[in-house]
Order: sequence, then C-alpha cells, then structure tokens
Amino acid sequence: MSGHTHDGGTELSDIELRVRALESLLTEKGLVEPDALNELIDTYETKIGPRNGFKVVARAWTDPDFKKRLLEDANTALAEMGYEGRQGETMVVLENTPKIHNMVVCTLCSCYPWPVLGLPPVWYKSFPYRSRAVIDPRGVLKEFGLDLDEDVEVRVWDSTSEVRYIVLPERPPGTEEMSEEELAGIVNRNSLIGTAKVQAPSAKGESA
Amino acid sequence: MPLLTKDMVPNILRLGGSFQVDEDVPPKFVPGDRVRARDINPTGHTRLPRYARGRQGVIERDYGVFIFPDTNARGEGKKPQHLYNVRYMARELWGPEVRAQDCVHLDMWDDYLDPA
Amino acid sequence: MNGVHDMGGMHGMGPIVLEEDEPVFHAEWERRIFALMRAMSVWERWNIDMSRHARERIPPARYLGSSYYERFLHSLETLLVEKDFLTQEEIEERMAELAREGA
Repeated sequence: MSGHTHDGGTELSDIELRVRALESLLTEKGLVEPDALNELIDTYETKIGPRNGFKVVARAWTDPDFKKRLLEDANTALAEMGYEGRQGETMVVLENTPKIHNMVVCTLCSCYPWPVLGLPPVWYKSFPYRSRAVIDPRGVLKEFGLDLDEDVEVRVWDSTSEVRYIVLPERPPGTEEMSEEELAGIVNRNSLIGTAKVQAPSAKGESA
Repeated sequence: MPLLTKDMVPNILRLGGSFQVDEDVPPKFVPGDRVRARDINPTGHTRLPRYARGRQGVIERDYGVFIFPDTNARGEGKKPQHLYNVRYMARELWGPEVRAQDCVHLDMWDDYLDPA
Repeated sequence: MNGVHDMGGMHGMGPIVLEEDEPVFHAEWERRIFALMRAMSVWERWNIDMSRHARERIPPARYLGSSYYERFLHSLETLLVEKDFLTQEEIEERMAELAREGA
C-alpha cells in the first residue's frame, strides 16, 4: 500500500485516498448525500445487529406457536418483530436438534441475513470459511470449539440465492426457569449461523 | 429513482430488493424429484458453484418464482423461473472419505437442473 | 464465471481467524465505502447480480490479496465507470489533488 507523506501531515493510504476521491466526486455531482451515508452507517453500526436474532431465538424457545410460525413462514414471523428488509427478503429458519446440526455459508461471496443479524463478521466473509465450510464442516466447527458426536447429521447451507438462512439453535438444558429476556441474554451470534451452540449460564448465574 | 436522502434510508432498507416475481411460471420439478446440476461454464455471472456441477441431488423445497441471476447480471432480463433448495449428499460432492450422513444444501434455479 | 471467488471446496486458505468483540467496521474508509455502495445502488443503473459480477471480475491475485471492503472499493469503482457515473480520469485526478492537499 503506497502512502503519501506531507510536511506535518498524516499519511493517507491509496485506499483512503480512493474512497475519499469517490465520495467527494459523487457528492459534488449530487449523486450521494452525506447525511444519507451517515444514516446508513449509523443504522448498521448501532441499530441493526445480532441482538435482533437473540430476541427471535428467545421468543421461539418460550412461545411454541411463534416457533411453529417461524419454521413454517419465517418472513411473516420475523416481520411481526420488525425484522425485515434488505438482504432478508426471503427468510428460512433451520432448526438444530440433538441429531441435526445446520450451518450456513456463502461460498461465492458473503450473503448473510442482515435484518436479523446485522452485517457479517470478518470470519464469515473470509476465504478459509467460504472454502472449507462445505467440504469440511466438522473441521471448521472444531476450530470454533465445537465437537459434534459421530452420529449427528451435519447440513451445510450454501446461500447461492437471495434466500437467507438462520439457524434456530437448541435451547440448552438448565434454562427452564429463565425468562424470555434472560434467554435472549445467553444466545450468541455464531449459534444463529451454526458455528456454535448456546451455553446455559454457569451455576453461579454468570454467562458461560 | 431519486437521490437517496437521509429520511428515505429507513424505508429503502425496510423494503429491500424484490427478487421474487409475481408470475405464474410452471415449475419443472417438485420436492422429492431427483435432479442433476448441469455442467455449465458460463463466462458471465452464475450462482451455480463448480463443486456442484454435474452432481446428483434431491429437490427439498420449491421457493417459488424468482429473478434468474445469470441473465439479470447481463442486463438480459429477469427470466423468472422456479428456485429450489436442493440437497446433495457430502459423498456425492466430495467422494467416499467424508461422512455418509452429512450433506450440503444449495439453492438452484430451473435452468441449473436436469432430471436425474 | 469460473473465477477464484467460486471457492467452495478449495484448499490452502488457512485457519479461520476469529476476532473477539469484533467491530462492525475496522476503519473509517470501510464505513464510507459500505455506505457509498448502498447509496449508489439506489440509482438502479446496476442490479445486485451485476454488482456481484463486478466483484467476481476483480483480477484473481488482487481478489485473493484484498480484504472484503477493498473488494467493495474495487468493484464500486468498476461499476461507477462502466455505468457512466464517473470516468477513471477524474477519479485519478481527484486522488492526486487530495494527495497534494494532505490529510
């Protein structure tokens, strides 16, 4: 990456210069509006994120009717909670069970269910995950610290279309007394992609 | 479409794209059908990965009628057709050394598939 | 196209690197390029399939050597020029101006 140094100035990389060049040109030509850009950034940095997914899971665990609707018609069920729109226009929820473990990838690029989980983490978009998830899912899961039993069926879903998949992870034992809100607090983002399970809080009541 | 302004942002994001097409196109397949992914090698855009070409699978689900990306990317139109989820056994894709019970599901359009 | 982006089943990409408490964006320029791509798509001179194909057409060595948002930048520039929003010349000119002016 080339840099440009100036007397008393900071070094701007080629990338930063290029991005600034594009933004300044497009702004001058009236093709983008800075307030709109800032609103987009703010939306995905602070408003739309995995917490949406945690609430979906907690609700599915505590409300059997909602869970049924979620599995049969995810779009409608998710829209009830306000989770709809860009990169989530067609949603499908995959239920993990003790014998079936679902895992989601986009080998060709980085397709991901934005309305429910926000923008994807770097690892999901990375070449190691994209290349290995479909050919060696168990090896990938081991890297995430997840060792599945021999008899578990692993189903990898390659998001080749505009359908977006999320995993409904298993509810861990020992959480029967927890409220929906407390349950949302123990779900983790990777469990909705299928690279982790959800752990019950430790005996002392702290999250694992 | 006009310039995107700040107040338009929430609506634009909420509406999203419209990839499903409201057209009565008959499906070529139904869930349960055995299919084979075509061995196509287009120089343009496609969403049929090389690892699945020529491989045999089973139609799991019909998602309805969608825009076909291969033609849409060339500006040649939506060519609406049925989109399916197809299940491929891991051994069908990767040979006998992977586990027998594992599988890979891919979304595939009518134009990617032949009856097996 | 049979490009390097079609990497399902490829070997040699290395271990999966995990970052604890990863931020949504790792640099200011990443924020800006994400927003620019989204905002320019609203003009509908290209569709999502065209934008994906623009990423796929990044020359392989560059594709494999770039971060995710670097690939965004490269493909957005391609689309802006191909769809007649900007010319390559004015982009390079503006970059030179900005470089002369300093940070």
